[in-house]
Amino acid sequence: MENNLDQHLKKELTANYEENKLLIQKILTDNGDLIVREFFFHQKKNIAIVCFYIDGLVNTNIIGSVIDSFIYQAPRLLRDMDINTLYTNLPDKINKHILHAHSVKLISKVADVIDAILSGDSVFIIEKCDQAILVSTRGWADRAVSEPQTEQVVIGPRDGFTENLRTNTALVRRRIKDPLLSIKSTVVGKSSKTTLNIAYHRGTVKKGLVEEVMKRLDNIDIDGIIDSGYISELIEDAPLSPFTTVQSTERPDKVAASILEGRVAIFVDNSPFVLIVPTYFWQFLQASDDYYSRYMAGSFFRLIRYFAFIISLVLTSIYVMLVSFHQEMIPTALALTIASGREVVPFPVLIEALIMEISFELMREAGLRMPKPVGQAVSIVGSLVIGQAAVQAGLVSPFMVIIVAITGIASFVMPNYAASFSIRLVRFPLLIASGTLGLLGFTVVFSLIAIHALSLRSFGESYLAPATPFQPSDQKDMIIRFPWWSMERLPHLAKQRQRASDSQKPKNPQGNNNNEG
Amino acid sequence: MKVQISNGIFMALIINMVYAKAIGLTQGSIAREVGGDMWISTLFSTIQGCLMMLLTVYLIRKTPSLNIIEQSEVLLGKWFGKIISLLLFFFFVGAAGAVFTTFVYHLKDYFLPEAPTFLFILAGMVIAVFALYHGIEVIGRMALIGVFSILMLNILIIIGSMSDFDIKELLPIFDAGLVPDVWASRHNNTDWAMATLMAAMILPKVKENKTWSKSGAYGILLGGAFVVLWPILESGVLSAEVAGQYIISCMQMARSAEIGLFIHRYEMIMIAFFALSSITQIIMTFYCATISVQRIFGIKKFNRTIIPVSFVLSAFGYWVVLDHHRAISYIESYWVLLAMSISVGVPIILLLLGLLFKKKLKNANAENLGT
Repeated sequence: MENNLDQHLKKELTANYEENKLLIQKILTDNGDLIVREFFFHQKKNIAIVCFYIDGLVNTNIIGSVIDSFIYQAPRLLRDMDINTLYTNLPDKINKHILHAHSVKLISKVADVIDAILSGDSVFIIEKCDQAILVSTRGWADRAVSEPQTEQVVIGPRDGFTENLRTNTALVRRRIKDPLLSIKSTVVGKSSKTTLNIAYHRGTVKKGLVEEVMKRLDNIDIDGIIDSGYISELIEDAPLSPFTTVQSTERPDKVAASILEGRVAIFVDNSPFVLIVPTYFWQFLQASDDYYSRYMAGSFFRLIRYFAFIISLVLTSIYVMLVSFHQEMIPTALALTIASGREVVPFPVLIEALIMEISFELMREAGLRMPKPVGQAVSIVGSLVIGQAAVQAGLVSPFMVIIVAITGIASFVMPNYAASFSIRLVRFPLLIASGTLGLLGFTVVFSLIAIHALSLRSFGESYLAPATPFQPSDQKDMIIRFPWWSMERLPHLAKQRQRASDSQKPKNPQGNNNNEG
Repeated sequence: MKVQISNGIFMALIINMVYAKAIGLTQGSIAREVGGDMWISTLFSTIQGCLMMLLTVYLIRKTPSLNIIEQSEVLLGKWFGKIISLLLFFFFVGAAGAVFTTFVYHLKDYFLPEAPTFLFILAGMVIAVFALYHGIEVIGRMALIGVFSILMLNILIIIGSMSDFDIKELLPIFDAGLVPDVWASRHNNTDWAMATLMAAMILPKVKENKTWSKSGAYGILLGGAFVVLWPILESGVLSAEVAGQYIISCMQMARSAEIGLFIHRYEMIMIAFFALSSITQIIMTFYCATISVQRIFGIKKFNRTIIPVSFVLSAFGYWVVLDHHRAISYIESYWVLLAMSISVGVPIILLLLGLLFKKKLKNANAENLGT
């Protein structure tokens, strides 16, 4: 069957109308949503035409208008034509003189006909013609542009990407009205034939980056791409790393800003998540608000996020390490409080911490998967279980509840879900090592994680840049966000470095002081 | 593609390579010899280290694309190269003893006295092997973070110990006399020796060869500045007599520092910021020893040499560390002799040979430029 299908797809359309029609019906057999609409568009000459499309993928109004054009406009064109020359280049004549549709193409390969029908376009095959007319009639039910679910902001635009590729590219185009913004297209997935768009700014993108992205995408050989997550895993530099080296975002403003800084965005049809490459780790700690709030507020919240990142990574491990092995490092008053809380707990601190951390992850996962009202109930019950009840039962100490709660909250502070998940993942080996070998275990695992992170690259760029390798000029948008008027230059990654002209700092207008006299 | 590191990373490697042992074990040794003049000895040592670094850069610059072993091969052939490699291997095996002592005693004596010693050695080895597989560029970047940690540690130790600092403890200067002060600097010179011989191995990988001298000298001077702070504080806070009674005098210093009630002991802070420097020392020792063995046996693949070399260095480190008396006696006598004779002797021999066989070096340069 598969061999037959391949053979059929390699064929070209012929002048035999019935043969063409049957071939397409044979290829698309057992498809209840395939519509085959046959009609005649010339009263006297009775020229037969058949239209193929998939119900639900098309905008039927466009098809109706195309059929109208055939029936009412074509007779006028064909009226004076001789029957012997009528069929010569007929599809081309119809395309040029009759059709009003915005996008029309002539195709002759059977594979193209099938692709077009399955993509939501309509194909019209005219008798005695070896070419078909492809009319773009794509139109299906779409989710409206709405606020991104995973990256909400207080200040800033509220629009987020949808599952529609064209809507997504348009959201970025609306922000960059520059002829240098390019959007390349490619198709990946043997069965899914997913359209991918690669957007970049020709003026700022580094030489070779787009070619590298295209090369990696072209190397993908898979049956289907259902979401951008597939692409991310198939093109990233470090597939075995717990760290993600491809950033994904639902926010068009973030993509637009990245493109302006010389990065490349990969849009995947049917996915509201757009990929951005290359990616630096520190980007995951930067939220869109940072750039829309005043620089002082933006910098403050960013500092909080860095602090949260450290807490999320090491707080539980340090607590377990200190309480298990290095009690002398804890101030006496605090050590006594911890000891009194742990008096009735039968487990070692490491086990206690693991129970709590796993309970927390269970609750998070359950809250996420459950329907919204049930999810809330799970959270409430869960917090009672891992909070008050567990302490009263003597299973965990109150201090541990506080530590795990702070760590959990800190991990949610990270604006990127994938990155916060990476941190949660590397926390466990660190915790186990600290609980079994104390400071030595912590040092070893932390060093291994650091060395691993230092070795990572994202599309040729060091993952931990601009911290290491240290780029002095890029520090203006690292730990703190400098004012826009002082960030005259684009990051080191960009080919063209000038962002704004110098002396953008607003000056106090003359006479705008209190010395009226 | 040939891996290259920036001059900044080169400087960071130098600073890390001298810091951990210099503030940890070395100061105790110097204090036992010259008491309150320990900081003067450290200063003398910094100057000597700077001169040795300039000499090393001068030597390598004669054939900028070849390291010290490759240059020796050019001068007197393959077998001479193997002898130099062997000497350098001995040096770095000896260095492993010293750096493992620093790493293990900081962690074991102050935090985990009951844990078996081999665990610490194994930990150092695992980290070093992992880093070596990732290459010099990653190690260099780690060293860059190490410099930041060193800076933080120094700032914190100043803040935490200034209240107890008494400048009178530093007086009278030259109490032990000029010659003993200079002689005592040999302990710290072993730390510089690790940095200068490391430079001799990795300089061809450093990007801007025109600024090698500047980067090398700045690296030593900055490292010296970071190190000399410790004997000054140790004399002013603990007094030289007390500092001299400890193997790891800097940990004693950290223990006495405090900021308020809740940051009352600095050992953990000390380890947090000091660990990267100590680990970089271990990694770079392994790295240079691996290159030496590669040249001795003519092994083409660097990765194949890592594990066996790591076992040799770790085994020696374990043997040294296992007994405190042996460790101290090794570091204060045998290691000084080994380190000084190789780190000064080898560059001077090559310098003299370079004067005799100028043409060979010139031809080698032309050949490398041609390829």
